[in-house]
Amino acid sequence: MENKHQVPVTVLTGFLGAGKTTLLNRILTEQHGQKYAVIVNEFGEQGIDNDLVVDADEEVFEMNNGCICCTVRGDLIRILSGLMKRADKLDAIIVETTGLADPAPVAQTFFVDQDVANKTKLDAIVTVADAVHLSSQIEDHHEAEEQIAFGDVILLNKIDLVKDENIDVVTKRIRKINPFAKIIKTTKCGAPLKEILNLDAFSLKRILEVEPDFLESDHDHEHDDDVTSLSFVSDKPLDMEKFQNWFGKLLQTKGQDIMRTKGILDFKGENDRYVFQGVHMLMDASPMGKWPDDKERSSRLVFIGRNLETMNLKEGFEACKSE
Amino acid sequence: MTTDLNQFPQLDKTKFEQRGIQLEIGVPVTCAVSIGNYIAAGFGDGTIRIFSSGEKHKTLKAHKGVILCMARDGDNILTGGDDGFFLKISLDGEINKITNFGSRWVDHVVAHNGNLVCSSGKVVYYWDKNKKEPKSLNHDSTIGGLAFDTKGRRLAVSRYGGVTIWKKDYSNKWKSTKLDWKGSHNKVSFSPDGKYLVTSMQENVLRCWRLKDKLDFAMSGYGSKVKSFAFIDDTSYLATSGAIDAICWPFDGEGPMGRTPICVPYVGNNQVTFIEPFPDEKAIFAGLSDGSVFLSQIENENNTIIIRSFTGSEVSAIAMTDDKSSIFIGDMNGNTLWTSIWDQ
Repeated sequence: MENKHQVPVTVLTGFLGAGKTTLLNRILTEQHGQKYAVIVNEFGEQGIDNDLVVDADEEVFEMNNGCICCTVRGDLIRILSGLMKRADKLDAIIVETTGLADPAPVAQTFFVDQDVANKTKLDAIVTVADAVHLSSQIEDHHEAEEQIAFGDVILLNKIDLVKDENIDVVTKRIRKINPFAKIIKTTKCGAPLKEILNLDAFSLKRILEVEPDFLESDHDHEHDDDVTSLSFVSDKPLDMEKFQNWFGKLLQTKGQDIMRTKGILDFKGENDRYVFQGVHMLMDASPMGKWPDDKERSSRLVFIGRNLETMNLKEGFEACKSE
Repeated sequence: MTTDLNQFPQLDKTKFEQRGIQLEIGVPVTCAVSIGNYIAAGFGDGTIRIFSSGEKHKTLKAHKGVILCMARDGDNILTGGDDGFFLKISLDGEINKITNFGSRWVDHVVAHNGNLVCSSGKVVYYWDKNKKEPKSLNHDSTIGGLAFDTKGRRLAVSRYGGVTIWKKDYSNKWKSTKLDWKGSHNKVSFSPDGKYLVTSMQENVLRCWRLKDKLDFAMSGYGSKVKSFAFIDDTSYLATSGAIDAICWPFDGEGPMGRTPICVPYVGNNQVTFIEPFPDEKAIFAGLSDGSVFLSQIENENNTIIIRSFTGSEVSAIAMTDDKSSIFIGDMNGNTLWTSIWDQ
């Protein structure tokens, strides 16, 4: 029988100095009874030496299929295939990306390469943010903003060095960019590892469990270049064909600017809930069982990205409502 | 839930399995090469097993981690591992360290006439048999594969964006030429007649260059990545994995352009994952994703025999002894078969 066990892979991102190495050292040295391999970049921060640390070059390459979104991490395909041949089975793999790298190609590797997809699965994108410097980093570097946008979990680190009211300011700034990430406030990245690893954040089932409250209401449109988020709710069922046409075209033409999407949809004439989530143009969608009896049926959809206000998302979504 | 085992067909062992030696090692078989009438096989736990007829196999602990690559150097085995070690191992079990790259993996290894080559990351290291220190050949991206031509004069290095071909000029200086094609190139091989160069790509496609004029073309239509390919009967065919049939492209005459490949079919919908030539014949061993292995004549699809029945794990290594008497088969779950080919 085919062994369908997939090793979860956590992508760890964040600016230089935010505390990624502190976290990696904890993962490698704490007594947790788990076997974790860590893939680090040679230009990353120093100070980790362990048999389960693999050096990698961050080699981003385009798949030769004309889709600009299909940039993947070639080195990861090679290293993950190698790690899957190990005799001792790994409980999880952590991929560190350097401060300036866009996490998208790492995430896309798990959608694009068949062997990687068969044997490993993207577990979550964890962003370590420096509570002291995040606000200014977001102003000065679009990468800092993108790392926040992509994160499923954001470790807001070094809160011991920041006044309480400033923590609130930073938290609000993060929420504006990314309303669905779980924010964990830490000093020295001291969060329990079970809140960081093996989260299954990319499973469609998980999206149903979390059901973040941000989906309850619309957010204000922002007229600037910032990464921002928009969410939509409809109590009226959607027309599946209309939705597929609109959404497919949207990702095809605006997938560069749309960084993450998540949604739970109620289609007219369908008994099942449809759940989807995507990174840029790549999307995973599936019916996830019947609507629970104790819950009102409704559709919820969230976008994180740039220039969202130019995409007529509200109008497009409204037009998908069934007659 | 109970499963009634009787609802599955009870497959008898093949005659090869009956007379051969089957082991369940439990860790992936990553590579195998023939050394005369011996077969050396590498495993995911860093061990090597050496098989020969009439003797019990020998097990050596060579690497701390996965054996990623293996090549033959005369009567020795060369191995590279994810522990960063590049080793030379004799059939008696003597292990010599050539070098250690630390946390960098040794991804590929080849050898020709005593000259040893390995790659780690973006660098190819070439040990001339007369020199102690290696020559470093640098590339812009990580190396996907290495191959010598039949005479050992040209070394092909596949990478992102194409292939670099290295050779020494008359003054013994290294010179390189490039064959460009966008995308990531993995396994690489010269045709035995030296006229063509083939790579398998990250996409489900092969790229081929005719070397006299650098004309390049694709061989496509695969359902999955082409992980294994081999030239058959000198340069008669290129047999490839990556589909439910073994796809065999004709390379005789004017080459494969504009010609259709022969598809050697197998029962069921399992992908071919490994191809090993039967030397000097238009015949191939094909290993499938369910662990089964077949021997087929390319030009006569009715002439296929089953060597090993399914194990449930994809075939990752097949090697035949030089005297064509015995073969070794291994899969990703560590099920191995070592058997003689001919009826006694």
